[in-house]
Amino acid sequence: MESASISAGHAAGSHDHHGPPEANQSSRVDAQMLGMLLFIISEVMLFGAFFTAYFFTRVVNNEPWPGDGNELPVAVAGVNTAILLSSSFTMHWGLEGAKHGNRRAMRIGLLATLMLGTAFLAIQINEYVSIGFAISESAQTSIFYGLTGLHGAHVFIGLTLLFFATTRAFRGHFTEKEHRGVEIPGIYWHFVDVMWIVVYTTIYLI
Amino acid sequence: MTLAAKFKGPGWYRAALSIPLGILFGLGLTVGVRALYGYDPLFDGDAITTVALISTPLAFLVGIGCFDYWFYWAAGKPTREEDHSSHGAHTWKDYFKVNTDHKVIGIQYICTTFVFFVLGGLMAMVMRAELAAPGSQIVDPNTFNGLFSVHASLMIFLFIIPVFAGIANYVLPLMIGAPDMAFPRLNALSFWMLPTAGIMMVASFFAPGGSFATGWTAYAPLSTETPLGQTFFTIGVQFAGASSIATALNFLVTIITMRAPGMTFWRMPLLVWANFTTSLLVVIATPFIAGSQFFVLFDRALGTDFFNAAAGGDVLMYQHVFWFYSHPAVYIMMLPGFGIISEVISTHARKPVFGYRMMAFSLMAIVVLGFTVWAHHMFVSGMFSWLRVPMMITTMLIAVPTGIKIFSWIATLWKGVIHMTTPMLFALGFITMFTLGGISGIVLAVIPVDIYVSDTYFVVAHIHYVLFGGSVFTIFAGIYHWFPKMTGRMYDETLGRIHFWLSFIFFNLTFGPMHLVGVDGMPRRVADYAEEFATLNALISVSSFIFGMSFFIFLYNMISSWRHGPKAAANPWRAHTIEWQVSSPPPIFNFDEIPTVVGGPYEYGVPGAQHAIFKATEEKREPVAAE
Repeated sequence: MESASISAGHAAGSHDHHGPPEANQSSRVDAQMLGMLLFIISEVMLFGAFFTAYFFTRVVNNEPWPGDGNELPVAVAGVNTAILLSSSFTMHWGLEGAKHGNRRAMRIGLLATLMLGTAFLAIQINEYVSIGFAISESAQTSIFYGLTGLHGAHVFIGLTLLFFATTRAFRGHFTEKEHRGVEIPGIYWHFVDVMWIVVYTTIYLI
Repeated sequence: MTLAAKFKGPGWYRAALSIPLGILFGLGLTVGVRALYGYDPLFDGDAITTVALISTPLAFLVGIGCFDYWFYWAAGKPTREEDHSSHGAHTWKDYFKVNTDHKVIGIQYICTTFVFFVLGGLMAMVMRAELAAPGSQIVDPNTFNGLFSVHASLMIFLFIIPVFAGIANYVLPLMIGAPDMAFPRLNALSFWMLPTAGIMMVASFFAPGGSFATGWTAYAPLSTETPLGQTFFTIGVQFAGASSIATALNFLVTIITMRAPGMTFWRMPLLVWANFTTSLLVVIATPFIAGSQFFVLFDRALGTDFFNAAAGGDVLMYQHVFWFYSHPAVYIMMLPGFGIISEVISTHARKPVFGYRMMAFSLMAIVVLGFTVWAHHMFVSGMFSWLRVPMMITTMLIAVPTGIKIFSWIATLWKGVIHMTTPMLFALGFITMFTLGGISGIVLAVIPVDIYVSDTYFVVAHIHYVLFGGSVFTIFAGIYHWFPKMTGRMYDETLGRIHFWLSFIFFNLTFGPMHLVGVDGMPRRVADYAEEFATLNALISVSSFIFGMSFFIFLYNMISSWRHGPKAAANPWRAHTIEWQVSSPPPIFNFDEIPTVVGGPYEYGVPGAQHAIFKATEEKREPVAAE
């Protein structure tokens, strides 16, 4: 397609301009924000597929949960839930800091979230090590590891995004006006948090 | 550029380096973990391949340069000026690079998907050669199973779904007056994931034990027990699915946030509406196939028991999860085609689309109803029997919004000035063939009939009437319609017509008789058949060869017209939508100034009606008008 360069048409004689025209903003919602929300919808559906597996084994086939002789450490996981929940508050604190130009609060908030999230993952891995049943034992254990592991993978993705945001925050990015780089990973982090409450309730509590 | 710089910068040199690194990483990780846990043997070919199938495509994507900007961004380095060096194509070589221009990505998509279309088509030819007579002809039964599995997977995941994304990628931003897609780099990543998925599926033929041979549906527990080739499908689908989700997300954000001033939802061309609804389906449904393939992968690689009934697993769960994606997927494969047909029919019949709003509403209705019918694929699976009748009713209900569309197209044609151009011929062919396919769909929705013809050639006939007579005809219509816009050249109208008539006639001669052998009980997915089906199968095979040949007329037409065809005007069809108001091919940044939309997109035959105005054009035209 040799003629794919800037060609005439309605814009004859405008070869000198570089870069695209400013796009019209046809929605009050920011593009990045909307993209993240749609991605979260997609993620919810992925969890939905895993919950379907859970539903079929536990409800439709009425298999014992969490399998014969298996015990889930409800209390430890409860403490872990509290850790993850508190990380949502520190995340919010960091974002408020970014919004009000308080760089110190933003950095501390992000760092605290990062550390709480890492602590959650560490406790989760410790739980796997000491739980006493393997992933290949039965459908119940497969689903237990599947759902908590899927959530753990999402915690890891969230932590990666937060790590980027933290790096950028310490390198002097983000202002009162431009703080989407904190806000959007933050939304993902809240989603990971809420998803954990659902996973914890269905897997450990009921 | 020095050689060292070539290996350092994004591109094929670095990719050539990163691919072996990806394989090595997969090998090292597997062997390392196995050593850590003391597994025997240390070198397990299946395990290494499985991990390498995930790590190698990722390494390729890094090497070719899909992630460069994001790495840079994530490291928090100072902002760098956007020089648009990755935007637009100046030579053919630019089509083989990571490019952020939606027009280049559109062409990349279309050309790549047509390569896989040819591959999938050749597999169909081999199958028809095998089925030309009863008994064994040229392939053994296991290869035959592999052929139909890879054929369907390529056609669905590597042709129909992505080629629509390609066409929309090219025309949609232009249509809504946007300079590009909302996330151009994500767009490039979505494209580059696609060939990796396709190559993986084709490469499965070289796996020990042959390619995956469980059909594109890959039902468990068959798929958890077959040889290594199955892993190529399981992981390939993940890449194709991720690509599909990312593109859909991109379309949705583009349509919602980047429409030109004045472009309300009720002034959007129906192709935009169609892709809006399709993208909703993709974003919501595709994670389910990802889930189903994760379960299969875990059962194969980690020894989980998702589908092990002895350990509390449930094999029917696979079908529920799979069809909860794959039934909406048939609308993912059809709705963009509906959009193309609305554009083509309205433009080439010089009439406003009849019932424009109902056309949009019926798309939304199909999206909603599409999620409520999945179990009609499972009437004979032994699922809960109470689910059958509700699923039959919702399935039949879908015919209502679809019927609204068919009648609206016919009403659009009514008393129109019909130009029998090639895109119009394909659109008319689509209406007739899709209606037939839709009717056999209604027949299949009826539970007793479905039980009777389950897994027979009747189903094969139905799916090809809706997917070839339906989707692929709309793809041809769309390619011919936008060919002048994409290439700046006109295609050969005579060859186009010959292509249409050959494919229309021999399509029917190929798939029409399949209804008959299907009702007589010829099972699908079997390499051999009973003597009594010999005559009709010989006819089907001969027709299918001519049918396959007709595609090469299309290919010749496209290639020769692209190179030497007569130059196309900016607006050869005198269409009103915005993509036709810019030059052919469009300027590198689409517009100098975003146009303003002042009316509906299809006001053909309305004196003085305009869809969009360009401020710059109006000013420049004034001296001309004064002459």
